Amino acid sequence: MIEAIDLTKTFKLYRTPSDRLLESLLRRPRHRRHTALQDISFAIEPGETLGILGRNGAGKSTLLKLLMGVLLPDSGELRLQGKLTGLLELGTGFDTGLSGLQNIERNGRLLGMTGAEIAERREVIIVFSELGEYIHEPLRTYSSGMAMRLAFSIAIHADPACFLVDEALSVGDAHFQQKCIRRIDAFRKAGGSLIFVSHDLNAIKVLCDRAIVLEQGRVVASGTPEAAVNHYNRIIADLNDDEPMRPALEQSVGYGNLALEIIGAVLQGEDSKSDVVSAGESVTVRLHIAAHRNIDDFTLGILIRDRFGQDVFGTNSHFLQYPLTARADETQVVELRFPMNLAPGKYTLTAAAHSAHNHLQDCYHWCDNLIRFEVAGIQGPFFYGIARLEPSITAQPNALFSARLS
Amino acid sequence: MNLALILQFTRQDLVDRYAGSVLGGLWTFIQPLVNMLVFILVFSQIMGARLPEISGSFSYSVYLIAGLLGWIAFASTLTRTTTAFIDKAHLITKVRLALWGLPLSIVLSDSIVFLISMGFFLAFLALIEHPISLQFLWIPLIFTLQQGFAYALGMVLAILGVFLRDIRELVTVVLQLWFWLTPIVYVIDIIPEAMQPWLQLNPMFPVIDAYHAVILLNSNPQPLGLLLLALVALLLFALGRWLFSRLERDIRDLI
Repeated sequence: MIEAIDLTKTFKLYRTPSDRLLESLLRRPRHRRHTALQDISFAIEPGETLGILGRNGAGKSTLLKLLMGVLLPDSGELRLQGKLTGLLELGTGFDTGLSGLQNIERNGRLLGMTGAEIAERREVIIVFSELGEYIHEPLRTYSSGMAMRLAFSIAIHADPACFLVDEALSVGDAHFQQKCIRRIDAFRKAGGSLIFVSHDLNAIKVLCDRAIVLEQGRVVASGTPEAAVNHYNRIIADLNDDEPMRPALEQSVGYGNLALEIIGAVLQGEDSKSDVVSAGESVTVRLHIAAHRNIDDFTLGILIRDRFGQDVFGTNSHFLQYPLTARADETQVVELRFPMNLAPGKYTLTAAAHSAHNHLQDCYHWCDNLIRFEVAGIQGPFFYGIARLEPSITAQPNALFSARLS
Repeated sequence: MNLALILQFTRQDLVDRYAGSVLGGLWTFIQPLVNMLVFILVFSQIMGARLPEISGSFSYSVYLIAGLLGWIAFASTLTRTTTAFIDKAHLITKVRLALWGLPLSIVLSDSIVFLISMGFFLAFLALIEHPISLQFLWIPLIFTLQQGFAYALGMVLAILGVFLRDIRELVTVVLQLWFWLTPIVYVIDIIPEAMQPWLQLNPMFPVIDAYHAVILLNSNPQPLGLLLLALVALLLFALGRWLFSRLERDIRDLI
């Protein structure tokens, strides 16, 4: 159980460090104040995972340092039963001249382990780190991956009440990373709390039970990871709820004869109000078009590509049997709505306007990778793979085979 | 800050930094040993220095080493305690550490070096048949007092040193002057008589004087100076605690 009650932390900014000393001795202010955190409150139950989201400079690092006890709050209280270790101080105090074994002792002590605890867990730590005989070699002969493996192994075996995972759970190779995640999972099941700080919105949604969003040192949102991520995205996009969708056409590479022009495009999730949406969330793609002459029958299409540039899904007004016409010097908005049944990941959306059902005959405007968007987290039933195919499922007795078995 | 962690830091100080070398922790003791041999050889055999009031060809060497061993421990503890927070910043900013206990490992490791050096010194005294009396039991007491003083003063300077980085350099310079203002290399009698009382205001004077009295003359030390020093150390300690309670948050912010 970790409880933060009204934590407030301000940093005093001085022209020189000695001004700070003079002030505290003479009691005359010589500083400007910067409030890094204000009235932060939250609680983490045993076995619970709390996600912390926030832009750079929102106060995440300061909060983590308060939690670790390396900074002291101005006011407020932090109740913490047991130790807090994490990936931030991974390998603190490692001495490259000493062997892995000696560094277990050294790092373990700093993490608050007693001699008996270290002796008892030494074997487990070595086995988990998969260092084998290398554990007797000096640390300077290790690859950085090996050192990280050892450091993680010590930190998670230090028996913390709370484990702190920040952005980079990049310990070793894919195999070891998965092992770490399994170990963290076991730690949670055993009643350990987890604090997860990340910009990986999908990871926040998948791993956390609750999440808070920090902005300018305050908790501006707290609740389900889904709600928190959506709030975070609105902050990032600098959008308010009531602000209309803004067309944006900056980074696109367009070509065509421009008889018809795509002048803006927006993709927005219904719940998230941003371009980071959940899998399964209903999204709207809005394309703004300007015509420079009268066109009786044109086709407008979209194409979604994954981060490798593979076409994932494409459709157009022709396939959807929705004929479009345009008048010279008029603009219109074409809206497509569909559930985003794609797996979490980063995607781009390409849009094109052309004469008939394909773009080869008379291409008016083709804009590659007009919009970037992200699918993070899953609404509705979980699924594997790249897309959700919404099957139904039924079961019934099979009379024919049952008869044969008996 | 528990004892095990202090011991670990001490071990790092004395042994771990020589990791990978063949002699390892022995290097910690080779330097004081060589130092001592040089002093003995140079002053007794080559320069033939003598003390007027004590006979024997080694008398000046004994005088010099008796004062020097204590001074080396004092100076080292003071310098390193002064920079303890800055030196250990990489740890302080990463893990929860009691800042107050951090320099205790420095006091301890310098004490161990002193202990070993004193062992060599006693062996040498026995070799030259210098009398070793019960008065030598004063040495642990004098030493504890000087280290307490070094720690208390060092903590005050360490706290101030976080804000004023000049303190580190200042301490180095002042220690050099301080060394020559203390009768370690010379005897106080060579100072003009009018100056002598001023010299005795030096808080390290009673300490070095006590070592001389015990080791050289086998007599009891002058208690008044030592008592005053104990008082000064306590006051400094109280000052340090007060400063610390006031400034810990800022220290952590700034480091």
